[in-house]
Amino acid sequence: MSNSSRAELLDKLRDTASGQSAGRIELERNAMGSGNAPFVSANNLSLTYLQNVLANRGSITCVANRNEAVQAVGNYLYGHFRSHRLVAGNDPRLAAMPWRDAGVLPRFGSLEEGEPAALSYAKLGIVETGAVVTYTGKGNPCANHLLPEHHLVLVDVNDLVLNLEQAWEKINGDLGKDGRPRGINMIAGPSSTADIEGQVVYGAHGPRRWHVILLGEVPEETRELAKNNAPTD
Amino acid sequence: MSKQQQKQVPPTPNRRVTLFVTCLADLFRPSVAFACLDLLEEAGCEVVVPTDQTCCGQPAYNSGDREAAIPLAQQVVSLLEPADYVVIPSGSCAGMIAHHYPSLLTGEWRERALEVSAKTYELTVFLQDIVGIPPRSPIKAARTSVTYHDGCAGLRELGIQNQPRQLLKNLCGVEVDELKQSEVCCGFGGTFCAKMPEISAKMVDDKLENALATGATVLTGGDLGCLMNIAGRARRQGKELEVRHVAELLADQRDIPAIGEGQ
Amino acid sequence: MEISSDTFLDNASAALRDTDKAKRRDFIAIATPQIRKAAIDEFEGFDALRKHVKRIRQHSLNNLAHYLEKFEQEAVQNGNRVHFARDGAQLNDIVLDICQQHGAKKVIKGKSMITEETGLNDFLKRGNLDVVETDLGEYIIQLAGEAPSHIVGPALHKSADEIGELFLKNHKLGDREFQETENLVDEARGVLREHFLKGDVGIIGSNALIAENGYSMLVTNEGNGDLCANLPDVLVICTSIDRVLPRAEDATAMLRLLVRSATGQPQTCYTSFYSGPRRDTDIDGPVETHFVLLDNRRSDILTSDYREMLECIRCGACLNHCPIYASVGGHAYGSVYQGPMGSVLTPLLTSLEESSALPNACTTCGRCAEVCPADIPLPDLLRNLRQEENDKKLTSSRWRSGLKLHSWLARHPRLYQWVTGIVIPAMHIIGGSRGRLSRLPMASGWTSQRDFPAPESRTFMQQYKARLRKNHEQ
Repeated sequence: MSNSSRAELLDKLRDTASGQSAGRIELERNAMGSGNAPFVSANNLSLTYLQNVLANRGSITCVANRNEAVQAVGNYLYGHFRSHRLVAGNDPRLAAMPWRDAGVLPRFGSLEEGEPAALSYAKLGIVETGAVVTYTGKGNPCANHLLPEHHLVLVDVNDLVLNLEQAWEKINGDLGKDGRPRGINMIAGPSSTADIEGQVVYGAHGPRRWHVILLGEVPEETRELAKNNAPTD
Repeated sequence: MSKQQQKQVPPTPNRRVTLFVTCLADLFRPSVAFACLDLLEEAGCEVVVPTDQTCCGQPAYNSGDREAAIPLAQQVVSLLEPADYVVIPSGSCAGMIAHHYPSLLTGEWRERALEVSAKTYELTVFLQDIVGIPPRSPIKAARTSVTYHDGCAGLRELGIQNQPRQLLKNLCGVEVDELKQSEVCCGFGGTFCAKMPEISAKMVDDKLENALATGATVLTGGDLGCLMNIAGRARRQGKELEVRHVAELLADQRDIPAIGEGQ
Repeated sequence: MEISSDTFLDNASAALRDTDKAKRRDFIAIATPQIRKAAIDEFEGFDALRKHVKRIRQHSLNNLAHYLEKFEQEAVQNGNRVHFARDGAQLNDIVLDICQQHGAKKVIKGKSMITEETGLNDFLKRGNLDVVETDLGEYIIQLAGEAPSHIVGPALHKSADEIGELFLKNHKLGDREFQETENLVDEARGVLREHFLKGDVGIIGSNALIAENGYSMLVTNEGNGDLCANLPDVLVICTSIDRVLPRAEDATAMLRLLVRSATGQPQTCYTSFYSGPRRDTDIDGPVETHFVLLDNRRSDILTSDYREMLECIRCGACLNHCPIYASVGGHAYGSVYQGPMGSVLTPLLTSLEESSALPNACTTCGRCAEVCPADIPLPDLLRNLRQEENDKKLTSSRWRSGLKLHSWLARHPRLYQWVTGIVIPAMHIIGGSRGRLSRLPMASGWTSQRDFPAPESRTFMQQYKARLRKNHEQ
């Protein structure tokens, strides 16, 4: 049934199309270049990034190294849940973290009912919009960013990109190298809805809280911002 | 800078202006047209009023009757072609001529329409941006609080916003009390107000409410259609608001009754 | 597509009398433009980006067959099955067929205007499927048995109290009170979570199809669409043929316009790109994925004067800025698409005969075109539709002949001035000292709601000609 519709439709569209060859169409698209992005100062990317995460109603922490990172995760979990229960994807970068030092022993896998928090390691952080990028796979089972009460994300400061165009440059590079992941997720805040009287409420279906831990060397100004906006319980 | 200003017709020393009075001013508010005559003469223009003018064709055009609108547009183009400048006391009619005629007409008529379009100005744009009416000394103070209704076509098709406010300040010493939601339509919409009167009434009620909330005693604007709608609703609702075309205020003609007011 | 647009004026009249809902509409009509404006002022390049994306959209539509085939090829390579549906009925059949092949019982749905257009829910229900809308707004109107009142916020017409009553009636959770909006959201979260975990088939829409890699972009804040896309074993993405874009960066360039125009954010909480079924490296995700691409007259619109309507990105800004939408609300339009975009699209997807009021629900104020991120000249398109109505004689003959008479008279200046020179002084006399008329023959539309300001004693032309004569005599 839909096969005949397909042929019929494509024939009809071809009749009205420009009739150009694929090569020319590609050239025409190339000539259009990229769209303009909002201006982002390259001066202190980490600062702008974290400001945008805050604007997205995320909370933030800045850590200099992996030891501090696991401590920050431990502190966050204890602060919110008085426990260190955590689920993390099978991401080698997460597995290699010194969890014992912080007394956190993540369960590596997919979030199950009753588990309140999950941790992801972002592929990228997009400064323009304060988003993180993850790919689905063993390292990022979808339940881990869609179902927990709190979603924690580690972002390496070296993985920050200026804008969406730069994000695609990196992502397209990965796609070329490793094939296409099932899902590419850009996440920019806790799950939210404004469907009742236009009032914004967080925790619509997914995480009620979204916490970004920026890992790496950052300017003092960035650390100050994080310190002044330390997550509350 | 307004969209019209960008057209750059160099002002000549002997400014001959053709006044297109609009059908609404002709029929229902001649004082607006006379105020225009006064203002243009005050600005040092020589004014011609073609007596063969009727309607710009907007009702037919917006109602989807191009067949009826086209001959009217051609008639207006022929009428206005000899002019150096065309001045119109309505953003909506000026928009029709300057903005819509070139897409309504085709071929040679389109070319002619484009020429007319290039020299067509709404009144306040012409006075403020093109001729620059000299400041009055002393200012004829209106001694009243005024709010301004921006007609949609003037605001969005011609970029008129600053000009009438500046003129009110320079010529009358009036600082406009801005009404909230000033960029929202008053519900006139030409035939719309007659086709969908209930919806139109809700829109004009909102406009009236915002106008009255400024505390201003006078509401003015550059489009008689909007002003008759607002004044008509105010009268029906028993609301106190003196509604006048901006030309009347600028020419200091407040001795005649306001729109919809009795003697 | 089923519509009830022929009763627009009656619907509007009823809506105007519902003062409680009118108050909420007024609030939204003031708040949403402010939110949008703040976001666009902050991003100074909005207009330049709008032009860029328009060029891309036009290029995509000019080469639609090429990009659709390219998308299909990539999507198939990614492991999807791609179906084309000529009309709504065909889309519904295809989706039901997929559900039945899998012996599905429960279908969970993300927000999809295309399936609203085709009436998929009712169709699947008739096929004995349990269909649950999971976008909070869509879920609320599904409980209420209503159609969306806004393409972005489908339940914005409902008060929190009404929603509370709906929940009390439909969720068997015992005695409870909803103090805050949060309580309502929380209850829906709990109820819907159960549905998510039990869904056999997930159905979502798509904001863009990316030809270069076969991904589909999904833009949401709630994350419900992602749950539908990830949890059930079968995923069906229903969208229309005009959504295809050449590249991934084109989709996110469009996203910048879309989200700012809709909610004022730089990016929604979830922007997801899905390529197909689970890979060897996945431990979850659907095992089978389908695309159903709907035409439903879009290929006709492509070759018509209304082609630009296919560039609409469904942000809802034209609804939020339309004073008529604000006055009467979405339901008055009697269509799943409302406001200015709906008044253009509904007649094109159905017929002008069924929806002839919609193109007239416009004052040509131009605010919609000013804010449209796709730069669609909506008032011009509405005027073109009125032209078609006039040509097809769908308007009242009284209107048409009145306009014709007026235009004819205006083409005969002397006669025009003779007639108006009699009528106007007469109106002046009738207006008397009150300066206004409460009734006017043939203008009952005007005088039903407002007085008609009485004219001065003579027309301008009468007075001016007298003045000229006097000057001449002197």
